[in-house]
Amino acid sequence: MLSRIAEGLFWLGRYLERADDTARILDVEVHQMLEDASSGEHLAAGALLSVMGVEAKTGERLELANVTASLAFDRSQASSIVSSLIAARENASTIRETISSELWECLNATYVALDQRAATARAIGPHAFFRFARFVKERVALAAGIADGTMPRDDTWLFLILGQSVERADMTARLLSVRLSLPPGTGDWVTTLRCCSAHEAYLRTYRAAVEPARVIEFLLLDRLFPRSAYHALATAERCCAELDGEQRRLGTGDEALRILGRARADLEYRQIGERLDELAPLLETLQAVCSQASAAVASRFFHREGTQPWHSEGLGFDLPGRAGGGGTS
Amino acid sequence: MTELFEGYAWEAAWDEMFGAPGKPRLPNRGLYATLRTLTPADLDERCAERDRSFRDRGITFSLSGEERPFPLDPIPRVLSAAEWSQIEDGVRQRVRALEALLADLYGAGQVLADGILPRQVVTSAEHFRRAAWGLEPPNGVRIHVAGIDLVRDRHGRFCVLEDNVRIPSGVSYVLENRRTITRIFPELLASHHIRPVSDYPAKLLAALRAARPLNAGSEPNVVVLTPGVHNSAYFEHSFLARQMGVELVEGRDLFCRNNQLFMRTTGGRERVDVVYRRVDDDFLDPVQFNSSSLLGCPGIVNAARSGNVTLANAIGNGVADDKLVYTYLPELIDYYLGERPVLPNVPTYRLEDREQLEAAMVRIDELVMKPVAGSGGTGLVIGPQASDDELATAERSVRDDPRGWIAQEMVTLSTAPTRVGGKLEARHIDLRPFAINDGRTIWVLPGGLTRVALRRGSLVVNSSQGGGSKDTWVLAADARRDAAGDKPPSGAGNGCDRSRLGAALRLAPVGGPEPGPHLDGQQQQQQQQQQQQAPC
Amino acid sequence: MSWRIATSHVSRYRYASPVVASYNEARMTPSPGPEQLVLDSELRVEPSAVLFRYVDYWGTLVHAFDVHEPHDELVVTGTSVVETTPTAPSLAGEPGAPADPAAKPGTGPVAGSDDPGSWQQLRSTALRDRFSELLAPTSYAPFDAELAGAAGDLAAGADPAEAAERVVAFVHDHLRYEAGTTGVSTSGLEAWRLGTGVCQDFAHLALSMLRQLGIPARYTSGYLHPSAEASIGDRVPGASHAWIEAWVGRFVALDPTIGSAAGVRHVTVARGRDYADVTPLRGVYHGGEHVQLTVEVQLTRLA
Repeated sequence: MLSRIAEGLFWLGRYLERADDTARILDVEVHQMLEDASSGEHLAAGALLSVMGVEAKTGERLELANVTASLAFDRSQASSIVSSLIAARENASTIRETISSELWECLNATYVALDQRAATARAIGPHAFFRFARFVKERVALAAGIADGTMPRDDTWLFLILGQSVERADMTARLLSVRLSLPPGTGDWVTTLRCCSAHEAYLRTYRAAVEPARVIEFLLLDRLFPRSAYHALATAERCCAELDGEQRRLGTGDEALRILGRARADLEYRQIGERLDELAPLLETLQAVCSQASAAVASRFFHREGTQPWHSEGLGFDLPGRAGGGGTS
Repeated sequence: MTELFEGYAWEAAWDEMFGAPGKPRLPNRGLYATLRTLTPADLDERCAERDRSFRDRGITFSLSGEERPFPLDPIPRVLSAAEWSQIEDGVRQRVRALEALLADLYGAGQVLADGILPRQVVTSAEHFRRAAWGLEPPNGVRIHVAGIDLVRDRHGRFCVLEDNVRIPSGVSYVLENRRTITRIFPELLASHHIRPVSDYPAKLLAALRAARPLNAGSEPNVVVLTPGVHNSAYFEHSFLARQMGVELVEGRDLFCRNNQLFMRTTGGRERVDVVYRRVDDDFLDPVQFNSSSLLGCPGIVNAARSGNVTLANAIGNGVADDKLVYTYLPELIDYYLGERPVLPNVPTYRLEDREQLEAAMVRIDELVMKPVAGSGGTGLVIGPQASDDELATAERSVRDDPRGWIAQEMVTLSTAPTRVGGKLEARHIDLRPFAINDGRTIWVLPGGLTRVALRRGSLVVNSSQGGGSKDTWVLAADARRDAAGDKPPSGAGNGCDRSRLGAALRLAPVGGPEPGPHLDGQQQQQQQQQQQQAPC
Repeated sequence: MSWRIATSHVSRYRYASPVVASYNEARMTPSPGPEQLVLDSELRVEPSAVLFRYVDYWGTLVHAFDVHEPHDELVVTGTSVVETTPTAPSLAGEPGAPADPAAKPGTGPVAGSDDPGSWQQLRSTALRDRFSELLAPTSYAPFDAELAGAAGDLAAGADPAEAAERVVAFVHDHLRYEAGTTGVSTSGLEAWRLGTGVCQDFAHLALSMLRQLGIPARYTSGYLHPSAEASIGDRVPGASHAWIEAWVGRFVALDPTIGSAAGVRHVTVARGRDYADVTPLRGVYHGGEHVQLTVEVQLTRLA
């Protein structure tokens, strides 16, 4: 496959997942802030922005409306939902002949509807945001379903899923970071589970009340739940192993595979204690793993030499005989 | 009902549908009969369907950076088998002559030595490429794809307005237009015997494979080279790559090594044999042309020169579709082929010639002045429609740079019924047939792109100037009975042979999909009762 | 009498940081023709590269190569042994030109004049068309009313051959040779206004004036052996050089820098409309920005 196409697929996977996860995180947080006005709107809003890597504009009051505006609708904000969906569609359009036309049409139709949906949600206010979040989640799910049903399981598929999984592991870590940065005693862990569509699965697994440590355990370590960090890392690892395609007796020659495998193994044999504040470094490590893995995939498969500018020789030089060359002419 | 045609006004032009008011020409009878039964509301509904389909599938072109759905007029343009046969012959002849001309100009130069075509006309042409001199394509083909622009004068005669043998575009719209019209007017397609256009990608791929380098082996790697997603024709590039099942590459995906072209893949490098390139000469190779170009690939021209890769269309083809070289085509057809032109040129003045310049300037208000370097209808001055000021400015520009302009007799383009504000009105149209040369035969796509000027009275049909397009039907030679509005012979659906389909169905195993376990009636009742009890 | 000259032309391109990919075309080896016999010629590139040779539109031998090994210095060396004769140069550089121009219709002499070098012949439509590329202005050799006036005065009463000689002598007298006053992209007209220049400027200025007189003329690049009394076997430092060839019924090679006809001391490498057609090394590369070029030319008279 063309390196550029592989890169496009990888990022299509990442952007779609990012749009979905950002919508999920916002959905929960907006809900939380509306429901519990005492929880300190600006604290929560600040935590949210910082975890999403967005700098708050100085002098602007951190309110619900501002936060949703920049994380959901702001086109100039690279990590907003709208930007993610636009970037997903842009990536898809450069690889349009590789993905199925149904998938392209789904992404394009989403893009076409985006402006109006966003405008409506902004005009009506926070409660319309839920509808917008649902729209985003549904469209991403539709795209994922179409991809699943129409794309052959070749390298095309592997790069798409690799991107999606890396992003999912990263976003799950971010989601938990947001949750943990809220003052103790505030908020509701059920909504955290809900935002990963994990509430029912949690209940069926533990058959017990929702406890913070278990929620974290479930979202980080559960081996069967598809949105857990462990599951995402394991999926990404499998994709890399298949792309690598080589059987080795010892270790691996693929950097991304090594990074992902080690992180996956670390989660696989970890215990989550009761002290939640010890979790912050783990979550940071997880995010770092995702960005290292992403870089390793890029350097092995995406060969970006072609994008450098060319310098011109020839007329740019002085005539031989003038530039310190021998003699006269 | 003839509501749609109410107030259909004639201009002093050949109308494609009607020979006289209410009297459709023979090939149009079937179409007219169907349209008569439609109300404006019916047509609106079908157009809404068309818009939705185009928008969702992203069939757009960029106009000043904005993506717009390609404006397809719902009313097809119909050409009879006889009309088409003449166009086909004319286009083939044109392409043969242009191929011979290019081979000569980038080789022996016999036509120059024989004084048929002045050397100065060639060497001053904007797209004459000295780097292409001595570059011989493997199967001798330089014009793998041609688009010949035709117009129809008021006597119904087709003339050649312009040749496009560099990077003719628009063919994807021909295919998409047909697909869309089939969906919104299934009854029309069923009642006419129209020659299909869907063969085009297969024909193009065959021609590209036939052009492979001699050392390429029997399974050449063909790619489509696009400037990228922001190019106005990107949709077409992607469409063709997908339809041919080949890789769509950008310049940055390619690199040359020792005059061999490769693309970067996740599994390392892979050799490329044939490049259907949609990047202009100027941007193709920074070693030879624009050195700051990032759209091309350095070394690609010498890779072609050494016979390791084929560029389609060839470099430097633009000299053959130069507007001044165009004026020599009748002589060139005679010189190379010993034939008379099947399709005449539009009479054109060569303004570098003093006498012709003066003769043209005297009647500048009756002529069309075209800049030689312009494309897409930019810079055009239409004498009868221009103000005195505009004419004075045009005359000054022409006198300053006579090589930069040609003056053409004004051709009143033919008209065809076009949907405007819910009704049908006469609008001017042209035709761009596409031809593919595989080195053995020149195949002309039956149909081509009909472009329509959507403004009343306007003669400028380019999409960049607010033009639209029409699905173009070429009736099969045996289709007269169907077209005349008779019922279609039974079984003549859209290429779907029912008897064979039936046989296939009978072979299928009996029994529908396997049902899953389901609750029986009693269980359901209990569950419902359970729910009813719950609230207390 | 002919000379046999050995040439060696070494260009070193230095980059501030390693270049990882580089694509080039070198026009650095002599082209065969009636005025010179190329006995031996070779181009070498370091880091090593596979060379692809072809003859371009103007009849110049081109070596194309690409280098993918990271390097901070590229050395291109052209060497040759050439036997030069005082014969008029060939029609090389005219693509598709018939061996005997008079034998083809449309390019032979017009009726009423036997002398192919007369003004009448030069002004004929057929000839002006045939040489249209060598009569048109270029960015290096633009047209200018003042230059046209000067050229017109020189040509008064002279036939084309004599006029060409006078123009070349005029350029020699009116430009002072001074390295460093002009650059590689200076036009002949700019040099004329400055009053100084190097061989390239002398040639471009002469081209401007000749073409405005209606005398077809082309740019010629190569080497000039500095000494008319060279002793055999002595290796002397030389330089790249440029002169012109004018059509006066046949091509004559004239050197405005030395103010006389080019002869056995001149080794021809490339021809074109101006410097842009004969650039010794043209190409693009990825990598280090800053570039330093040193050129070393050595000439040895062998016989």
